[in-house]
Amino acid sequence: MLELEQEIKRLVIETLNLEDLTPDDIDPAAPLFVEGLGLDSIDALELGLALQKSYGVVLASDSKENRRHFASVRALADFVSTHRTRS
Amino acid sequence: MMGFSVQRWAAWAPGLVNPASWETWLAKPHALPAEGTPALAAMPAMMRRRVDRLGRIALQASYDAHVDAPEAPVLFASRYGDLGRSVELLTQLARSEPLSPTSFSLSVHNAIGALYSIARGDTSAYGAIAAGEETVEAAFTEACGLLSDGVPRVMVVVYDEPVPSPWEHFSPGVAFPHAWACLLSASTGADAIHLDCAAGPPDAPFSEQEQEQEQDPADLPADLRVLRFLVSGASRWEHVMGNRRWRWARDA
Repeated sequence: MLELEQEIKRLVIETLNLEDLTPDDIDPAAPLFVEGLGLDSIDALELGLALQKSYGVVLASDSKENRRHFASVRALADFVSTHRTRS
Repeated sequence: MMGFSVQRWAAWAPGLVNPASWETWLAKPHALPAEGTPALAAMPAMMRRRVDRLGRIALQASYDAHVDAPEAPVLFASRYGDLGRSVELLTQLARSEPLSPTSFSLSVHNAIGALYSIARGDTSAYGAIAAGEETVEAAFTEACGLLSDGVPRVMVVVYDEPVPSPWEHFSPGVAFPHAWACLLSASTGADAIHLDCAAGPPDAPFSEQEQEQEQDPADLPADLRVLRFLVSGASRWEHVMGNRRWRWARDA
């Protein structure tokens, strides 16, 4: 799981051009959006697309569910590990 | 039209990053590197990460010309804008690939100006202009209109880069990416600049020096000829397009 968290951190940095950050700068338990990393709704869409491409996970249109999955790197890793269709 | 003066200007192209180097280059242009991107350190990193090369160049010139001037309406003028993004999106669409939401949101012509407004928390009026080969004249016409309305100053930002493949043959005129920005104020003084548009053939032939400028290498973009007029102190510059003659002149 730690490895997947690291992988997702790298995906976040690369996908969203967070040029000044390294994976170690991202607290896996910290909020990704608004507070914490400070990402916005366009980042959420971009990240959803990247997760779909990398892991074959399909995000439901249910925003409440998505909010939970996108809460932090750790939550994303949990979601990916149970829903991935691609290794 | 309303007379104006240039209070401050800035420009950026690979290899030309300050007014002194621009003045030297405009007097005697030579080939410039085709690649290069400014640091755009004035923009917060969380916003800067979304700005592509052309946007970085346009906004670097904007920040450099604006500095500590009070807020003012800004007119962003570009003949082609960030066309590279559109090519990429259309290519993805043609391959039935999903489109990047970030790229989609930034592919509109006013996106670069909007980022500048958001980054600076500036709620002044912003405009995005594209008017073919008369883009610069359209922007300055709009600027003069705002000054006539009593706005104390207006900033005009002009930017373009080479048209990306597969459309490059439509416009070989822009050989390198560049941007320039001018902070304008209304002027009735001796050095006021006027722009007007007349119909018909050009006036009497240009002076010898202006003739020489006419023979610039073909890769000097038309918008930079206007910049050269604005910053050089030349008495006039004329841009003929079809039946229209755009006449830039300084009061003698």
